[in-house]
Amino acid sequence: MNIIEATGICKTYRRGREEVCALSGVNLTIEEGEFVSIVGPSGAGKTALMNILGCLDTPTSGMLMIDGMPVNGKGEAELVKIRREHIGFVFQQFFLIPTLTVGENIGLPLLFSGTPFKSETIESLLEKVGLLHRTDHLPGQLSGGEMQRVAIARALVNNPRILLADEPTGNLDSVTADGIYQLFEDLHRQGITVIVVTHNRELALRAGRVITIRDGCVVAGI
Amino acid sequence: MNLLSFAVKNIKRRKGRTLLTIAGVAIAVAILFSLLSFSAGYERELTREMDSLGFHLLAVPKGCPYEATTLILHGGVIPKYLTNEDLVRARATEGVVIAAPMLLQQVIKDGIPHIVYGIEPAVMLPLKPAWKVDGRFFTENETRVMVIGSTLAEKENLAPGSVIPFGPSQEQYTIIGVLQPTGSEDDNFHFLPLADAQRAFGKEGLITAIAVKADDVKHIPAIAENLEKVPDIQVVTMAQVTGTIMNLVGSARSLLFSVIVIAIVISAAGITNTLLMSVNERTREIGMMKAIGASGYHIAILLITETLLITTIGGIVGILAALAGSGIIEAFVRGMVPYAPSGSFVSFDPFLIGSCLLFSIGLGLLCGLYPAWKSARLSPMEAIRGEWE
Repeated sequence: MNIIEATGICKTYRRGREEVCALSGVNLTIEEGEFVSIVGPSGAGKTALMNILGCLDTPTSGMLMIDGMPVNGKGEAELVKIRREHIGFVFQQFFLIPTLTVGENIGLPLLFSGTPFKSETIESLLEKVGLLHRTDHLPGQLSGGEMQRVAIARALVNNPRILLADEPTGNLDSVTADGIYQLFEDLHRQGITVIVVTHNRELALRAGRVITIRDGCVVAGI
Repeated sequence: MNLLSFAVKNIKRRKGRTLLTIAGVAIAVAILFSLLSFSAGYERELTREMDSLGFHLLAVPKGCPYEATTLILHGGVIPKYLTNEDLVRARATEGVVIAAPMLLQQVIKDGIPHIVYGIEPAVMLPLKPAWKVDGRFFTENETRVMVIGSTLAEKENLAPGSVIPFGPSQEQYTIIGVLQPTGSEDDNFHFLPLADAQRAFGKEGLITAIAVKADDVKHIPAIAENLEKVPDIQVVTMAQVTGTIMNLVGSARSLLFSVIVIAIVISAAGITNTLLMSVNERTREIGMMKAIGASGYHIAILLITETLLITTIGGIVGILAALAGSGIIEAFVRGMVPYAPSGSFVSFDPFLIGSCLLFSIGLGLLCGLYPAWKSARLSPMEAIRGEWE
C-alpha cells in the first residue's frame, strides 16, 4: 500500500519580485515500510519536498495523499492533526529544549496530543535508542549523537507510521552518523516508513531506494 | 510534565531577564497598591480625625473661613476676634449643646512658634473625652498654670511640676498636667485657662473661635444658619472642612495617578518587548513544536501562561513590597499633600490586595496577547527556517 502518493507537486515562492520555482511537477510514491533517501545538490528542492511531504507546507498545485487521505486544501489546524498522528520529524539541529530533561523532551509531543505522560512509554523509547541511563539528564550533558537519538525518540512518541528526517547527520561525525543510520535501519525493520533527506551519497545508499532531485524534478529513483 | 511546568521551565531559561521583568511589574503594582491604599486610608483617617475633634462646627470671625479653620485646627493665629457676647449668643442658639470658646495665641521661643490655647475646661473637656492627663487639669479661675501636649513635653523636657517663664511678660507658669499622646495636633499645644490667657496676652473679653457641638448632626445646617445671623460670625462645618481638604488632596492625587499610569504603561511596554524578544529567540523552537504536533492554540496558551506567571509573581512581590515599605511611601505622600491626618494611611485591605492581583493578571493577558497571537500564526516551515517577519 502506498503511504505517500504525490502527483504533479509544484511549489513556487516569491523572493522579493522574483518568482522562485522550488518544485516543478514532482511525482512520487512511497510504500508503507520503505526506507527512502532523498538526495540532490543544494537548492534542488529537497527541503521543499520534505516540507510538503511532512505537511509543514502546502503545494502550490498537485495532489498529495498521506495514508490514503488527500491533504490538499486543508488548513493549518487539520495539518497539525495529520503531523501529530502520522508523522515524526527529526531535524538537523535536534531542537531539544535545553531546560527539559531527556525524558521530558521525548514526552513533549504528548503535551500537544493530549496523551497522558507515561514513564513506561518514555522508557521503552529510550531503550529503543539506547539511552535508558540518560532519562533525567539535560540535553546540555549529551553528545551530538545522543541528542539526535533523543530527537528520534521524541519523533516516535506518538507512534507515527512515517519518520521524516531532514539532514539528520549534518551536524555529526561519520562514526556517530553511522550509529544514527543503524537506528533508522532498526526502525525500518520494525515497519516504520523512514524518509531521510541528505547530502551524503554514501549514507543515502544504505536506504532501500535513493530518490535524486535536481532543479525541482525527481530525476532518478521514481 | 504539563503546560504549566513547561512554562515555568521556559521562563527560568533567561533568569536575569525574567527577574528584571518581574521587578518592573512589581514596581508598577507596588506604586498602584500604595496609591490606592493611600487614597482609601487618607479619607478614612481624615474623617476619624475630624470626628475626634469633638465638635461639629466652628464659629470664626468674618474673613476667610477656611483659612481660619485650617489655621485653628493646626494651631495658627488670626488677628481677628469674636467677643463674649458672640459666645453668649451662640450658647443661646437652639440645638447647641456645647459652645466652647477658645483664644489662640502664639509665642516664639528660640525661634520656634508655640501655640497657646485659652480654653474653658468645663466646656472643653466634654468635647475631648479622649484626653487623659498626667497630673491634673486646671479649673476655670486658676492663674499661671498650664497643661501641655505630650510631644511638647518631651521636646522641652517638661513634666508636671516644672515651672517655666511664659507669655509676653515672661511670668512664671507651673505645668500642672501633661496630656497623654492623642495622635493629633493637640500634642503640640500649651493649654491655659481662658481668662488667664486673655489676661496674660492682653485680650480681655476676646476669643478666636467658638467650637460648637450640636445635639443632633441633622441640626447642624440650621445652627450654622442661625449663628451666621450675627454680623461678625462666619460658620464652618467640619463636613465642609473635610470636603475642602479632600478637594485639595484630589489634585495631588490626580498627579500621583498620572505617575502610576505612566509607570504601568512603561512596565507593560517592557513586558511586551521581553515577550517578543523571547518569542523571537525561540522562533525555530516554536516551529519545531508545531512540526511535532503543537497547534497555534498550544503555542498561544504556552506564551500567555509564561506571561501570567511573570506578572502574577510581580504582582505578589509588588504588594508585599508595598506593605513592607508603606512607611517610606507614606512619608513621601505626606510631603505632597496639603493636609495630612495623623494616623497611618496604609492598611491591609484584602479587597485592595485582590484588586491589585487581578490587575497584574489583566496586565499579563494584555501584554501576552500580541506576542502569543504573532507566534501562534507563524507558519511551521518558516519558523523552523528561523524566518520572522
